[in-house]
Amino acid sequence: MEAVVVDAGSKLLKAGFAVPDHPPSMIIPTQMKCLPADETSTEASLHEIIIDPVVRGFISDWDAMEDLLDHVLYNGLGWEIGNEGQILFADPLSTPKAAREQLVQLMFERFNISGFYASDQAVLSLYAIGRISGCTVDIGHGKMDIATVIEGAVQQISSRRFELGGLDLTNLLAQELGKSYPLVNLSISDVEKIKEQYACCAEDDAAYEKLQLSCPEEQHTLPDGQVIKIGRARYTVGEALFQPSILGLQAHGVVEQLVHCISTVSSENHRQLLENTVLCGGTASMSGFEDRFQKEASLCSSAIRPCVVKPPEYMPENLSKFSAWVGGAIIAKVVFPQNQHVTKADYDETGPSIVHRKCY
Amino acid sequence: MSWQSYIDDHLMAEIEGNHLAAAAILGHDGSVWAQSSTFPQFKPEEISAIVNDFENPGSLAPTGLYLGGTKYMVIQGEPGVVIRGKKGPGGVTVKKTTMALIIGIYDEPMTPGQCNMVVEKIGDYLIDQGL
Repeated sequence: MEAVVVDAGSKLLKAGFAVPDHPPSMIIPTQMKCLPADETSTEASLHEIIIDPVVRGFISDWDAMEDLLDHVLYNGLGWEIGNEGQILFADPLSTPKAAREQLVQLMFERFNISGFYASDQAVLSLYAIGRISGCTVDIGHGKMDIATVIEGAVQQISSRRFELGGLDLTNLLAQELGKSYPLVNLSISDVEKIKEQYACCAEDDAAYEKLQLSCPEEQHTLPDGQVIKIGRARYTVGEALFQPSILGLQAHGVVEQLVHCISTVSSENHRQLLENTVLCGGTASMSGFEDRFQKEASLCSSAIRPCVVKPPEYMPENLSKFSAWVGGAIIAKVVFPQNQHVTKADYDETGPSIVHRKCY
Repeated sequence: MSWQSYIDDHLMAEIEGNHLAAAAILGHDGSVWAQSSTFPQFKPEEISAIVNDFENPGSLAPTGLYLGGTKYMVIQGEPGVVIRGKKGPGGVTVKKTTMALIIGIYDEPMTPGQCNMVVEKIGDYLIDQGL
């Protein structure tokens, strides 16, 4: 049986058996609904509690995560109790030590797996495009990680994590739409869908300024039948990544942050990092993002000018939405057969702290 | 048990078919408690840089870890407890105990995980013994 690779994001959980050139077989929402067991059907919808097991990239509700993994592994992927296999997790940048230990403990003690490995999402995303060194700009739903990786190892001091992601852009869009349509009742999930459908990035900041003044509007029909028009708000959402002041944050745009991170690495590695820049994550797949990123990058001084790498042709479309998962599938093929993972015997002997020694 | 036997019988012992290329147990001041015959000739400044990184984690990363003149790229360790360096397919793990530094240098086919297991296990044992 192949090893299972899991990348639990703040919005979507990607899971599947380690088959590298294919997308993950399960891409399901991480968000769960808690239905109280003793409610009658008429009251059920009022008492649904929405639970997010993964917040800002990190697992925060362990009981919910356990239930989610139970569903994914046994129902979704067909694991049988008593015959569990090996599993590989993709961790975001700066995952706390305690969280890694808790995860490995959960997997061995509750799920009785036979082997475990965890790797940084940044390293995995680079493997997916065939590199072991480079930098990744991973913009997810709950967080944005800018990481520099050299020979498969993340350079902690020159990598940064930002608590900014698709979630904040959705809230921004909800705010903007609320201004134009104060009486329309828009649920967050409606706004999320609108964002995915319409949000895009202007070609450059001059084009953005022009669009702020006049922008063609598109009509959108809400689930309840009302029709609203989406105009410049769609570009505002994309622009927020390049001008975080739109979100009220005192931070530089994404390209400047990347350049700053690279400049803290010793200069002999700059070229390697700049020439191998990967954009990944659900939010980075916004239309126009990559082109705008490249354009902003070309405005940088030639000494530090990032260059975005194209994924290989044999990789599936939309790789950026699950590049960490694909990278996980690739290294699963190396790590498990070569016994570089944490085995049940290792765990029994040393305990959860073994994850820091064997997985990095 | 003599310090040398920690090196010969434990640090340099085989784990899953591989063994360390070199190992040493040094005092925090750089004094040699024991070392394998393969351990490189190191300089006192290299050891003080390592000890300094345990006090101020992250200080070694910009310049790299030097041991016996060889430069290792600093990778994820455990601040104040373990420093890990990488050089191509090989690398080094340094574990700090109460009074000593356990250093293990590995090369392929040994994996970083195996080196960590060996070095850190001995380190944990010495810490338990108050050393």
